[in-house]
Amino acid sequence: MKQLLYIVIIISCFCACQKVIDINLNTADKKYVVEGYVTDAVNGVRVSISQTMNIDDENSFEGISGATVKIIADGATEYVLTESSASKGVYTTTGFKGMIGHTYSMYVQVGTDTFRAESTMPHEVYFDSLALQDRVVFGKTRRVPAVYYTDPEGKGNSYHFIEWRNKLKEGTIFVRNDDNTDGRNLSIQLVSFSSDSDDDSKQIKTGDTISIEMQCIDAAVYKYWYSLDAGATGEGGSATPANPVTNIKGGALGYFSAHSVQTRTIIAD
Amino acid sequence: MSKSLIIACCLLLSCLGVVAQAKFTISGTIRSKKTGETIIGATVHVAGQSIGTVSNEYGFYSLTLPEGTYTIEFSTVGLQPVQKQIVLTAPMTRDIALDDAAQSLKSVTITANARQRNLSTPQMGMEQLTTKEMKNVPVLLGEKDVLKTIQLLPGIKSAGDGNSGFYVRGGAADQNLILLDEAPVYNASHLFGFFSTFNSDAIKDLTVYKGGMPAQYGGRLSSVLDIKMNDGNNQDYNVSGGIGLISSKVNIEGPLQKDKSSFLVSARRTYVDLFLRLSNDSSIRNNTLYFYDLNAKLNYQLGKRDRLFASGYFGADNLVVGNNFGLKWGNGTGTLRWNHIFSSKMFSNTSLIFSNYDYKINVKSGANDVNIFSQIRDWNLKEELQYYVSQRHNLRIGFNTIYHTMRPGEITSSQLSNFNSSKLQQRYSWENAVYVSDVWKATDKLDLSYGARLTAFSILGAGDFFNIDKDGNILDTLHYKSGEFVKTYINLEPRLAVSYKLTGISSVKASYARNVQNLHLISNSTSSSPTDRWVANTNIIRPEISDQVSLGYYKNIAGNKYELTVETYYKTMQHQIDYRDGADVLNNDAIETQLLFGKGRAYGIEWLMKKKAGRFSGWVSYTLSKTERKIDGINEGKWYNARQDRTHDIAVVGMYQLNEKWSLSASWVYYTGDAVTFPSGKYMINNTVYYYYTERNGYRMPAYHRLDLGATKQLRKRGRYSSELSFSLYNAYGRENAYTITFRQNKDDMNKTEAVRTSLFRFVPSISYNFKF
Repeated sequence: MKQLLYIVIIISCFCACQKVIDINLNTADKKYVVEGYVTDAVNGVRVSISQTMNIDDENSFEGISGATVKIIADGATEYVLTESSASKGVYTTTGFKGMIGHTYSMYVQVGTDTFRAESTMPHEVYFDSLALQDRVVFGKTRRVPAVYYTDPEGKGNSYHFIEWRNKLKEGTIFVRNDDNTDGRNLSIQLVSFSSDSDDDSKQIKTGDTISIEMQCIDAAVYKYWYSLDAGATGEGGSATPANPVTNIKGGALGYFSAHSVQTRTIIAD
Repeated sequence: MSKSLIIACCLLLSCLGVVAQAKFTISGTIRSKKTGETIIGATVHVAGQSIGTVSNEYGFYSLTLPEGTYTIEFSTVGLQPVQKQIVLTAPMTRDIALDDAAQSLKSVTITANARQRNLSTPQMGMEQLTTKEMKNVPVLLGEKDVLKTIQLLPGIKSAGDGNSGFYVRGGAADQNLILLDEAPVYNASHLFGFFSTFNSDAIKDLTVYKGGMPAQYGGRLSSVLDIKMNDGNNQDYNVSGGIGLISSKVNIEGPLQKDKSSFLVSARRTYVDLFLRLSNDSSIRNNTLYFYDLNAKLNYQLGKRDRLFASGYFGADNLVVGNNFGLKWGNGTGTLRWNHIFSSKMFSNTSLIFSNYDYKINVKSGANDVNIFSQIRDWNLKEELQYYVSQRHNLRIGFNTIYHTMRPGEITSSQLSNFNSSKLQQRYSWENAVYVSDVWKATDKLDLSYGARLTAFSILGAGDFFNIDKDGNILDTLHYKSGEFVKTYINLEPRLAVSYKLTGISSVKASYARNVQNLHLISNSTSSSPTDRWVANTNIIRPEISDQVSLGYYKNIAGNKYELTVETYYKTMQHQIDYRDGADVLNNDAIETQLLFGKGRAYGIEWLMKKKAGRFSGWVSYTLSKTERKIDGINEGKWYNARQDRTHDIAVVGMYQLNEKWSLSASWVYYTGDAVTFPSGKYMINNTVYYYYTERNGYRMPAYHRLDLGATKQLRKRGRYSSELSFSLYNAYGRENAYTITFRQNKDDMNKTEAVRTSLFRFVPSISYNFKF
């Protein structure tokens, strides 16, 4: 319904105005943020730990060192992750590769807090291709990436896409499930915030390298991205803001996802 | 022995003689002489006595008096009172026609502009607006709007700029029963709520009940907004209309047979899209955006005792954005009514009502061409008997049966598209109610109104229903066959109101009412949207129930020039609905899995001081209130402020008749900002900043205030043709009221987070031309 809000603002286009204002916001106790995933790529494991900050603070989200981080495969094999020397608060290990159909648990101990989560890497759906398509966004023709794949029969597939534009990650959350698209040949345009904006400098230009990473995710992780997008992006107007529904137990923000990854790349002509 | 027996017999006979002193009933219909329109709520008063009655919603009155000679006065706002000498020796019928006041009074209107609040009726929590009041209050873009105007009354709060939703005494926007000629209107807004669906030219009367609803109303928790359309002039043809900045309208009425039957057709269309086409910017030019309304009514007097009415409303919005997106929505209602006067004491009305709301979304992108359709449709039969038992008792008995069909969502899509055609289950339900109420004039000072409404809401098959656990997971699915009863909820709603006249000019009133709501609007958004989903009770969603007690003080000051009203209320609400975090309410058959249930409470005190007569009229209203919710799974299960909790709410409305040509008006509103959820922290996920929330609705939007100005100039009359020019200025001092406050990273310094306020309307002028002949 974001589109509806946009339309409301268009309706009152000649009168709507935006202004940066000061708001006195409360400070909250710091909370841990854990972002963990296991993929089927080589060395496909990463857990990063950080903390919340006050709204007035600068956006320097420092990693948290000194945590004990483990990944357990199918409740049996244990992999201990160590903090990367290059980036603080990022825990990895080498030689690990997740496998489709297997269940992974994440165990994080930091200070006196313990966080656990579990995720099963779903069946992989083949990422057919990537193309650039023209789309008219409020009267302006924009080039937007479109992904092609065929959803398998039977509900329960969920997908998460990440767009890289000249190796820079685009922040828009693209998340899908197959509630209404089960079994279809799909071509989905990924319209990011920047494609949706008036700013011409943010559009895809000839020569740009566009990569899309497709992740086949499980239902709980879908719920996480869906609710993060609906409730925590800071844009008002849609749902009442709320923290996303996480699959991590123990009181941390964030998620733990076991997913397969496929990447397709295209150069804009 | 025998002597005493004779004496006793004599005594008894004489007593009987007293009891049997002949009483007769005078009854009839009160109309306007000029238009033949029946008059609702006209006062019938026996001169020199405190006996009287008021006409009902069809202009019918009935008054039973002992045999004798009386002077009876018939009066109503804006018309000349009439006095009739009657010698009552047998039942008699007197139809009354009241003449226009304006014609006889050369000077500007000094009679009351507003209807006098009746001190002795037990009804409280009720507000009425006359067409004159509705006409003069300045509004956005000059589009007279009854829903906007009632929001200037105490206890009725606006849902904000660009939203015609309103909150009554702490209730939610879906807890208002909005009736147009008895037909429920499910979505009373046009253009996402910038305007309401009611074309004020077609409206005869508007009454809002904030509490102590009479037993004939039921179905929503917080309020009843009863809107009645004009019947149509049965004396003469009339054309009136208006040309405004964004819309034009026309109203045609006239007799089909003089004195007997009449028709009325009223239409309105906006043309914002015509302006959009003038734009150089193709992104604006290629959009379609309009709405229209059509009201029509026929009424026919069959004989002295019978009258038939057919009325209908149809309105729709159409929005198309470029080639990608289309959204159409609209209401349709139809009412067929039959008034029958059984006797001078017994009035009957039978109504067959149809009501429909639907929306259709079309999305096109690439090979995708997807349509989404949703609908709610009612068939409704009502019967009511009004029995004027005696001078002291006035009884209403009735029943109401409604069959609801809901089609929550149906997707049809092209062969090549991404989407499967699919259908959410249709839901069927049958809502029945019987009620009885009596208005009892116990003594000269004490009046009571008591009654009860018994409702039975049956959920019918075919369909699948679900058992779910407390986390919203489906445990099992129950299948029901077509016509099978899934569950019936039975509720008794007692209603009680008492008034006590302290003096000739002041009274106190108290009331209690229970209300039950069986249909619920599930909205995943903080602003109203045409795609919000109505759901009926299920095995899990239970009827919402509210209990409200209220107490009020009423006083007429300075010979009825001023009127003071103070009311206080306390209301509790059960089975209130909210959605779970991250809920998807549009896409889900088992919608219960997305919902949470809890309770609410609201209390407050409302002041209204009204000046009703003179060149200068208007009112000041102030509400001090609190409304909270407590729902397991939200805010750690603790009480939190509902979004519409506003501590202070003030409205000042003034209308001034400068001279015969010019009338001026102004309104000013101020209210505490909505309770909203702002972040108390931020964090990073996937290289993007997101926000961390600690408590629900723990913050406030900035206070809202706004001044609107209006002026109307009567142009020279040429024969029958009269016209006027209306000017208005919305938000006259250009206050930037917050529509939303959002958070983002500063564009130049991505390290900084900033709060951004979006405000919609500043200084919106308008001009419109209205005519009549």
